[in-house]
Amino acid sequence: MKKAVKHRGIETLKAKYGFRFALPWCIGVVIFFFVPLIQSVIYVFSDVSLAAGSIEINFEGLTNIKEVLFTDANYTNNLGGAIGKFAYSFPVIMILSLILGILLNQKFHGRIFYRALYFLPVIVASGVVMELIFMTRSSDIASIGTDASVRDNMISAATVIDWLGLPVTVSSYLDNVISQIMNLVWSCGVQIILWIAGMQAIPDLLYEVAKVEGATKWEEFWFITFPMLSRVTVLVAVYTMVDLVTAKTDLVMEQAYQYTQQQSYGTASAMLWIYFIIIGLLTGALLLCFTRFCAKRWE
Amino acid sequence: MFKLKKDDITFTLNRLKHRRTVSALATALFRILMLTSIGYIVIYPLLYMIVTSLRSTESYSDPGIIWLLKDYCWENYVDAFSALKFPEAFKNTILVEMVSAFLEIVSCSIVAYGLARFEFRSKKIMMVVLILTIVIPTQMIIIPQMINFSQLDFFGILGLFNKATGIDLRVNVLDTPFSFYLPSIFGIGLKSGIMIFIYIQFFKGLPKELEEAAWIDGAGPVKTFLQIAVPSSGVVFLTVTIFSVVWHWNDYYLAAMFMTNNRPLALALANLPSQLPTLGFGYNLMTTRAGSIVMAACFMFVVPMLVMYIILQGKFVKSIDRVGITG
Repeated sequence: MKKAVKHRGIETLKAKYGFRFALPWCIGVVIFFFVPLIQSVIYVFSDVSLAAGSIEINFEGLTNIKEVLFTDANYTNNLGGAIGKFAYSFPVIMILSLILGILLNQKFHGRIFYRALYFLPVIVASGVVMELIFMTRSSDIASIGTDASVRDNMISAATVIDWLGLPVTVSSYLDNVISQIMNLVWSCGVQIILWIAGMQAIPDLLYEVAKVEGATKWEEFWFITFPMLSRVTVLVAVYTMVDLVTAKTDLVMEQAYQYTQQQSYGTASAMLWIYFIIIGLLTGALLLCFTRFCAKRWE
Repeated sequence: MFKLKKDDITFTLNRLKHRRTVSALATALFRILMLTSIGYIVIYPLLYMIVTSLRSTESYSDPGIIWLLKDYCWENYVDAFSALKFPEAFKNTILVEMVSAFLEIVSCSIVAYGLARFEFRSKKIMMVVLILTIVIPTQMIIIPQMINFSQLDFFGILGLFNKATGIDLRVNVLDTPFSFYLPSIFGIGLKSGIMIFIYIQFFKGLPKELEEAAWIDGAGPVKTFLQIAVPSSGVVFLTVTIFSVVWHWNDYYLAAMFMTNNRPLALALANLPSQLPTLGFGYNLMTTRAGSIVMAACFMFVVPMLVMYIILQGKFVKSIDRVGITG
C-alpha cells in the first residue's frame, strides 16, 4: 500500500518536471505562434493600418477576399501558376528522392562519395543562390524548355519529347519537369535523408525472411520497404509541401511580400491564406489517395 | 547415380549464381549511371557558379567559352565584396542568425527532452501543436508577427499600462537582433518544430536505464538531462546543429521582414541584382560582368557552409544512419 502511493508520487513528480521542461515552449507557442496566427485570420477580414504607437483594425467582412479573387487578375494568375508548379513538383520530388534514397541506402563501392555528393544540397541549399544562378545562366542545361531559341539549337531531352509526338498535355508536363529538373533535384536533399532514415528503421529480420522465402528484390521493395515507409511518407510529404510553398521563387509568396512592403497587410494575409488552404487540401488529397490505394493494399 | 545428381545440383547452383551475378551487375550499372547522371545535376550549379564568377567582360562576347576560361577575372570578387558590404553583412549574420541558431539548438533540446522522456496530461495536445507549428509555414504568421514586433507587447499588458499611465513601454524590436532571439529562446524560431521533432525521436530511442539510475542516485531532472542525456546525444546534436546553422545562414525571408538596415548576408545577396545598377554595373545579368559579380558573391556566400560540410561531412553522413529521424 505504502509502496504504491510512493510510486504514484514519483510519477506525478516526473510529470511535473516534464511539464516544466516544456513550459517555456508552451509560452512561446502562444505568444509567437497562436496569437499571430489568429491575428492573421482576423487580418483577412479587415483593413489594417499602422499608425504611430497603435494598430488600427477595421472589420471589413469579405472585401479582401473578393478583391484578391475577383479584382486582382495578377493574383489568380499567380495562384494558378503556383498551384500548377506545386502539382508537378510534388510527385516528382517524392518519387525522385525515394529512388535516390533507395540507391544510396544500398551497399556499394563509392557509397560514401555519392552520399556526400547528394547531401550537398542540404548544406548549400539556398533559394537565393539557386535563383541567382537561374538569373545569370545563359545557355546550358538549366535553360532547356524555358528559352525556345536555345532549345532548338540543342539535342536535348525536350527535342526528344517533341519527336516522340506525345499528347500536348503529357509533353508539356514533361517539358516542365525537365526545365525545372535542376531545381527539383536540389529540392530533394532533406527528403533523401528522411527516406534513408526511414529505411534504416526497418528491421533486417523482414528482409532475411523474404530471402529465405525466395522473394526477388522487386517483391522485397513492394511488400516490405514500401509498406514500412508509409509513416515516413507522410513526413516527407509534409516537408516537401512546406518547402515548396515557402520557396523564394513562389509566385504567390512573392506577390504577398510586395503587398506587405506596401503595408496592405489585410490583402497579403488573404492571399496567403487562400493559397495555403488550397495547397493543404491538395496535399491531404494526395496523401489520402496514397494511403487508400497504395499503402493499404499490402497490409 | 549419386554423382550425376550432385553434378545436377552444382550445375543449377552455378546457373543461379550466374544469373545472380548478371542481375547484380545490371543493378550496379543502373545504380552508378543513375547516381552519376543526377549527381552531375547536383554538382553542376556549383561548377557553373565558380566558372562564371571568374568571367571577364570580354569572355561574355565569346560564345565559345563555356567552361574553360582564357583569363581569370579576380576583380569580380573584389567588386562583389564591396557591393555586398561583406564585413558588415557577415557581422550581422553572425550576430543575428548564428546566435539565434545557437539559442534554438539549446532551447529545442530542452523542450524535446521534456516531451520525449516524461508522461504528463497535456503532452498529447502539445504534440499536436508541435505538428501544427511544422505544417503551417512561417509566412502565414509573419505579417502579424512583424506588426507585433514593432510594438512589443505581451498579451496587451503594456498597452493597457500605456492607456492608464500614458507611459509607452512598448519597444520596437524590429531591425534589432531581438526579433530573432526572442522566438528562438522560447523554441519557436526558424523551423524549430522540425528540430524539436528530430530531438524527440532521438531521445525516445536512448536507453532509459542510465537515466533511471541517475534518478535513483538522487540526481534532479536538470542534472540528469545535462549529465546523462546530453553527453550521450552527440549525434543528434551534430545533426541539429548542422541543420540549424544552415537554415539560419540561408534565411533571407525572416530577415527581409524583420531587418531593414542591419541586413544579414543572405538578404544582402538577394538584393544584390537590384543594387548592382546603382553601383555602375549593368542591368543584364546574362551578358555583362554584373552576372559574374553576382556569382562571385554567391560563391563567397556558399564557401563557409561548404567548408563546414567538408569538415563535418563524414560524421554527418554517418549520423543520418544513427539519428533515426523518423523513428
